[in-house]
Amino acid sequence: MAIKDIGSFRNTLTEADAKGWSKKVDSEFTKGFDVEMPGIPGENTTKTFGDFLSESLGKVNGLQQEANVAMEKLASGESQNLHETLLSVEKAEIAFKTMNQIRSKVLDAYREIMKMQI
Amino acid sequence: MSDKTLQALTTALNFREMRQELISSNIANANTPGYKAKKIDFEQALARALDVDNQMQMNVSDEKHHTVGNGGFNNLEPEIYDDPNGVVSENGNTVDVETEMARMNENKIMYDALVQLVNKKMGMLKYAINSER
Amino acid sequence: MDLLSSLRISSSGLAAQRKRMEAHSSNIANAQTTRTAEGGPYRRKEVVFGSEPERENFSEILEGELAENAQTVHATEVVHSDKVVYKHDPSHPDANAEGYVAMPDVNPMVEMANMIEAQRAYESNVSAINVTKQMAAKTLEIGRGN
Repeated sequence: MAIKDIGSFRNTLTEADAKGWSKKVDSEFTKGFDVEMPGIPGENTTKTFGDFLSESLGKVNGLQQEANVAMEKLASGESQNLHETLLSVEKAEIAFKTMNQIRSKVLDAYREIMKMQI
Repeated sequence: MSDKTLQALTTALNFREMRQELISSNIANANTPGYKAKKIDFEQALARALDVDNQMQMNVSDEKHHTVGNGGFNNLEPEIYDDPNGVVSENGNTVDVETEMARMNENKIMYDALVQLVNKKMGMLKYAINSER
Repeated sequence: MDLLSSLRISSSGLAAQRKRMEAHSSNIANAQTTRTAEGGPYRRKEVVFGSEPERENFSEILEGELAENAQTVHATEVVHSDKVVYKHDPSHPDANAEGYVAMPDVNPMVEMANMIEAQRAYESNVSAINVTKQMAAKTLEIGRGN
């Protein structure tokens, strides 16, 4: 269940990077696509939506791996922690389903944009 | 479907079924003279095949041999042996029914949990398959 | 299949304990019997259990260790005790010349204790059957309702 290749997805996102687009158009309107993260003042901490997404993907993957490890430990009797195992499985499932929904929304948005007549 | 975790879960299910059979045998033979209570241990073998924390390292002498953590799940050998802690009663029987009942309940709970986990995994797969667009 | 074998093993336990109950209740019922068909007082009955490997058919014999280790139980023998207890009771119709009656060697306390034990063993086998059934039912839940 783990997503093996985040790198390729990340590449796709970088290509369709809104930040790059906003650079081309360079208007007030498009600045909203850049997510400004609070951090050390003076440093460029702007993250793109693409970075955000791929980071979240990594987290979802991490949760899946955690759940897998917990299940394997339960199966081999190494851990007797039933509730923790079930909880981490639930967390991974929720994260996965949420990510799936986000994926659908992103695809919808993409298709919506592609429909636009320039 | 060669998901290591899923294989681990189903292997554990198989072994727990065997355990239930042995426990039933122990309970049925609680009064049989000379009968020794039997146990089955698969946890060690399974943990080795899984090597979750990369704790175990083994040298492989033949490339056909499974290294640790490779998940050679089909060749797992469980250990079936006479319980050394059994208290011997006057007719040579070592079965303690209360212990067997406790073991049976624990086995049942874990079995149920494993079935649920298998179900969850299958469910996630089906979910991913179903959400097209 | 392992769970079905478990059921067979547990039901063999049930049958064996039932025979045991029969033997001991027969003992209690006949605690005072001085006349039997074979002549002489009632002989106390006791059941001897033996186990044998659970084999349904030849293919299972070929299977490995587990088939040898999981054993069904049988009430292999019903043993009749030869012991006879003499009680002094000259008024009894079966008293011999010295006034002693040959009575069965049945101690009701012992028989009751055995019966209680047999009942508890019966119940534990029933528990085992229930758990096995529940495990099978749970297994059928795999894939259901997803």
